[in-house]
Amino acid sequence: MRRKGTINYSKYGYIFSMPFIVVFLVFALYPTLYTAVIGFTDMKGVIPKPVHILDNPFQNFKELLFDNPTFRTSLSNTFILWITNFIPQIALALLLTAWFTNRRLNVKGQGMFKVLLYMPNIITASTIAVLFSTLFAYPMGPVNSLFQSLGWIDAPVQFLQDKNTARGIVAFIQFWMWYGNTMIILIAGVMGINPALFEAAAIDGASGLQTFFRVTLPSLRTIMLFTLITSMVGGLQMFDIPQLFITPAGGPDNATMTTSVFIYGQAFKGAYMYNKAAAASMIMFVIAGVLAALMFYLMRDRSEAQIRKKLRAQKKAAKAAARGV
Amino acid sequence: MKRFKHAFMGISALLVMTTALTACGGSDSKDTNSTSETGSSNTTTSNEKVTVNLWSFTDEIPNMTKKYIETHPDANVEFKTTVIATTDGAYQPALDQALAGGGKDAPDIYAAESAFVLKYTQGDASDYSATYADLGLTDQMVKDAGIAQYSVDIGSKDGQLKALGYQATGGGFIYRRSIAKDVFGTDDPATIKSEVGPGWDKYFEAAEKLKAKGYAIVSGDGDIWHPIENSSDKGWVVDGKLHIDPKREQFLDYSKKLTDNGYSNGTQDWQEAWYADMSGAGAKPVFGFFGPAWLINYVMKDQVKDTNGDWAVTEPPTGFFWGGTWILANKEVTKNDAKKQAVADFIKWVTLDTSDTGLQNYWANGTMKEGEQGTKDSVASSVVMDKSNGEIPLLGGQNMFEAFVPANANASGKNLTQYDESINLIWRDQVRAYATGGKTRDAALKDFKQAVKDQLGIESE
Repeated sequence: MRRKGTINYSKYGYIFSMPFIVVFLVFALYPTLYTAVIGFTDMKGVIPKPVHILDNPFQNFKELLFDNPTFRTSLSNTFILWITNFIPQIALALLLTAWFTNRRLNVKGQGMFKVLLYMPNIITASTIAVLFSTLFAYPMGPVNSLFQSLGWIDAPVQFLQDKNTARGIVAFIQFWMWYGNTMIILIAGVMGINPALFEAAAIDGASGLQTFFRVTLPSLRTIMLFTLITSMVGGLQMFDIPQLFITPAGGPDNATMTTSVFIYGQAFKGAYMYNKAAAASMIMFVIAGVLAALMFYLMRDRSEAQIRKKLRAQKKAAKAAARGV
Repeated sequence: MKRFKHAFMGISALLVMTTALTACGGSDSKDTNSTSETGSSNTTTSNEKVTVNLWSFTDEIPNMTKKYIETHPDANVEFKTTVIATTDGAYQPALDQALAGGGKDAPDIYAAESAFVLKYTQGDASDYSATYADLGLTDQMVKDAGIAQYSVDIGSKDGQLKALGYQATGGGFIYRRSIAKDVFGTDDPATIKSEVGPGWDKYFEAAEKLKAKGYAIVSGDGDIWHPIENSSDKGWVVDGKLHIDPKREQFLDYSKKLTDNGYSNGTQDWQEAWYADMSGAGAKPVFGFFGPAWLINYVMKDQVKDTNGDWAVTEPPTGFFWGGTWILANKEVTKNDAKKQAVADFIKWVTLDTSDTGLQNYWANGTMKEGEQGTKDSVASSVVMDKSNGEIPLLGGQNMFEAFVPANANASGKNLTQYDESINLIWRDQVRAYATGGKTRDAALKDFKQAVKDQLGIESE
């Protein structure tokens, strides 16, 4: 008791972080490394057999990239679906953010709106998939009936049989599920901006638009980067809606087959090609990594970089001057 | 206060743990598993009971064990059942591991569904199972019970019987009586049978007659797929290569014909519009559906609404079966005489016992529960069906076994592969693309072969 002052509390830090570290090692790191390894092997089939590294370790990768049109289709689908859902999603989220954070507008019932807009994200994907496939059902479904009674179409339309409408609906579902989430993050970002900036803008007589584009957006850069990267990683892993929405998963004619749906199929649809599935997963991992790096580069703070450049130039000049003396 | 702080930290640590778990997404789908024990009600026996591990994917067979114990009070057996649903593909990996692991807890009796039964009877995992002959269940018993050949074929490897079912799932053509009267002048199953078959040409002639009066012969192309699939001479995979049987290839043309001529409502099976057609609520009234007894008793029953009683069943244009459960025994059980006897007795009671106290008699007559009329179902043994009462109200009092006994006999069990489920989905997707006019016939076939190669690694012939 005498040495009370020197009791070390840091051990509690280790104790309390242990569960996470253990769970992470067992359930996240180990499977990831395991996946990386089996991508180079001949692991295949239901009944476990001895696994060997292939003679050409990159065989699986090569076959997927150059010899598998379905995989390439799934790659392009993934990007199409992500881009067509992300652009409207970020646009609407920004618009709503601007409205909800605008002090002059002072929207009433904000809390309720935020909850309502976030709602689609709370419902599980399987429920939403069933809901939408019922809505767009053929030959009888609410959407078909509505369009017919409005006189827009004469005969029922096979929404889920046409590649473009099927893709459009999947993109819409993703957009509808996630814009509320993006909006909440952006609003949080705006809340973190120093109010003095907005006050100054108001005093200088900036209009709402000017404030948004000149003050809000530039200050949101880091939050936007965060949204972009999480959404991109989420988009590359898009699985639940395409898997559940249309029968067969990824249909019609592979129009909504994302890479995750493809990977699942490789491993669990009868052929049990774990090696191919793992290789495809690793390809996706590399793509996500490269894209994230690219975004970090594009979204870097240019003015800060310039300042650093200037500082370096100054230092150099000072050094040169010192040498000159 | 300090204690509160500790508790708070503990809770947050727990929260972190759960989030980490959910983030990995590996924590779901385990809630469907359960293990329970069904003991014999006879507690006076002094000798040790034999514990039999039973693995299944629904509670159907576990419920049978209860009935078994009830009707066999002196059976010296105790069942330990493990039920894992087939959803998320959880059943097979678990069963494979349990079989490979062996030991005291290994499954002694296990069930397999038609979608994957071949893996356990003829495929990669067939070495785990005992033959029925090892259990003392002879081919003569199978013959005496009048088990449908397709069921025996699926359960046999190189002529050695390894699995049998309790249910027979040969399919019939289930049609609306009122429409039959309107179009063909009678609702008699024997007449309708010769109107819609045999063969698909006659079927489409009937479709034309129905169309003239504003009816659709089926709900969608999925309905005719099951009979076409099962009447083909060869399965999807022959010698490791994708094989498109000419009869299956014809499905392209039949599906197109249904769509182009408006013979169907263009629905997809298991979707809202398909169910709606069962009560005549679809775009056009639908004449009939293809299916086994379970389609009538478990699916249509809740969907027919006002048309209840307006149905009848007859033999289809070609024989087929759809679905079903097979029961296998682990070959390890033959090493222990007491266990072997217990397992053999139960399997015999379920699959081959044609007496009034055999399972199939209860199953066919819907008398599983004492004093309560349960669901009647078509069973494996034609002997049992012949003496059972298959009259059901949905079919207006028709004895469904009249149609299902020959239907079971006409089904084929020789054209299945373990890839069927996945290949069928790809195939039907391409057929739909062709039938709705999005693709040429050749492109659909080419894309089908490509998709099978890319997704399942099976080259085409």
